[in-house]
Amino acid sequence: MPTRRTLLAGTAGTLAFPAIVGAQAANTLRITGWGGRWGELSRQELVPAFEREFRCRVEVDTAFPFVPKLLASPRGRPVYDVLHTNSNEQWSVFDRGLVQRRPNLSLIPNAQAIYPYAMSDQVVGIVMFTSAIGIAYRRDRVNPPPVSWGDLWDARFAGQRGSYLIPANSLGQAMFMMAGRVFGSGYRDLDAAFAAMERLRPIRLFDFTGGMENALLAGELSIGVLHDTATYRHQERVPLEFCAPREGVIALEQALSVTEGTQMGELAHAWINYMLSERVQRLMAEELWFSPVRRDMVLAERFRGKLLTTPEQVATLIQMPWQWYNSVKDRVDERVNRIFRG
Amino acid sequence: MRAAFLAVNGAVIAFLLTPVAIVLFFAVNPEPFIAFPPTGVSFRWFEKFLTSRDFMAAFGLSLVLGAATVAIAGTLGTAAALAIARGGLPGRRTLTAIFLSPIVLPAILTGFALFQLAMVLGLGRTVWILLAGHCVIAVPYVLRTVLAVLAHSDPALEEAARGLGATPAVAFREVTLPLIRPGVIAGALFAFIVSFDQFPVSLFLVSPGNETLPIAMFNYLRFDSDGTIAAASTVSILLAVLLVLGIERTIGLQEYARL
Repeated sequence: MPTRRTLLAGTAGTLAFPAIVGAQAANTLRITGWGGRWGELSRQELVPAFEREFRCRVEVDTAFPFVPKLLASPRGRPVYDVLHTNSNEQWSVFDRGLVQRRPNLSLIPNAQAIYPYAMSDQVVGIVMFTSAIGIAYRRDRVNPPPVSWGDLWDARFAGQRGSYLIPANSLGQAMFMMAGRVFGSGYRDLDAAFAAMERLRPIRLFDFTGGMENALLAGELSIGVLHDTATYRHQERVPLEFCAPREGVIALEQALSVTEGTQMGELAHAWINYMLSERVQRLMAEELWFSPVRRDMVLAERFRGKLLTTPEQVATLIQMPWQWYNSVKDRVDERVNRIFRG
Repeated sequence: MRAAFLAVNGAVIAFLLTPVAIVLFFAVNPEPFIAFPPTGVSFRWFEKFLTSRDFMAAFGLSLVLGAATVAIAGTLGTAAALAIARGGLPGRRTLTAIFLSPIVLPAILTGFALFQLAMVLGLGRTVWILLAGHCVIAVPYVLRTVLAVLAHSDPALEEAARGLGATPAVAFREVTLPLIRPGVIAGALFAFIVSFDQFPVSLFLVSPGNETLPIAMFNYLRFDSDGTIAAASTVSILLAVLLVLGIERTIGLQEYARL
């Protein structure tokens, strides 16, 4: 039987638990991050160096979904200090007042060295890396190769092409807006985009890029919407090629923002500055095939002509109007679900 | 007639086991992507899984959580079942419905609600909160199986023990527990499996660096698509088979097969 003393000790411990947790969190930076090889590199290289330099602990949450967790946490005590997502989700949380539109640039000296697109009006926070969304295809099966986004609709690829579930995946959403431009008056031409989706069938749709990569690698598909990062990573193993369509490639931005109400503002800005440093930009480009955002990057020979580092290459990047897209997302989801179900 | 019966049974078994067979095919396929038919036999994905620090940590955490869930949910579920079945409490049906409600609600809502509660109380996301979430989901399974056994056992046996001078503790240990053992074991088995495979609740409650195996597999699948996931799934399946065989060897499945 528990004695009165043990009961009192237990009660005191329980009551003190939040304070203990709070004390442990005092010098902890809580951020979001990707899994897979990004996660490995982050854990082995990026985080330990930052922790040593700033004498802190960095807690990286790689378990999706980030936005509902941020939404569910108290406004004055956000579950994250720095949010790393793609641009569509950054706009979604910004419109709910959960992240700052732009970090304090005076605390981020490395922001002086980045391309303007990384802080353009189409972006919440700051972009640290970019992938280019284009068309991936099997060299051994597709001849002549695609040159335009419109080629995805070519009848020869019926049943051999792939894209994404538009309600769930930002690459699918970007492709949807691109269809509005290719077949209509612009990215916001919903009617043209819906009509284009009708003509895109038969097509295989995936939740994640991992599924698309697997289908292309296994030869189940000949052509599909994919980013250059994934395509170049697999090129040595299979005859996979990346096409940057003549209309331009769509920017898949890896953006960082500071959350509203964070108690770790200084560390949060230091982390963003760190991710924009030359060492980290080079590491992520040369290990994971992400295009850096710094203007002064000269990468090894094998990356030249592939990753977007020069002003001319960067000029081919198209930034989508994500804030607008989020405002019509429910309408788009409902309609495309009917199109691809039917 | 017999041939038709066998054909239907064969079809049902094939339907149930085909996904398992496909996972095994993928796990031993040497190709760095999921493809059918396999081009050979290789254990490289098992090696990658078993030498991965992340996967092994997640696997270990899932095992520990499963065991702790069995202990806690098993105790709570059994105690609640006894109170409901033998305690003469008012509103027994309502109490049963409340205890069973976690399996009626979508688990993702339970996970989200627990996450919000932990945030509002300032508890953060710790392994204890995760364990609490697993127990909330597992208790109804134990409760249900123990209640089923209690419904078929005669309370007069326990009353007789008490009448012959046994204390409540002795009557429970010597009479009630042996009677309800099949239900407790079945409930514990369910509790372990529910915890080990738990995804929706863990999705919200895992803390950074403390991912369970299903969450680690989901995160991996989003960015990499090789056979490591199939190898991880195979190990999970083998674990479940070993668990059932272990129970069969030590306690015997016949006892709770009657449930």
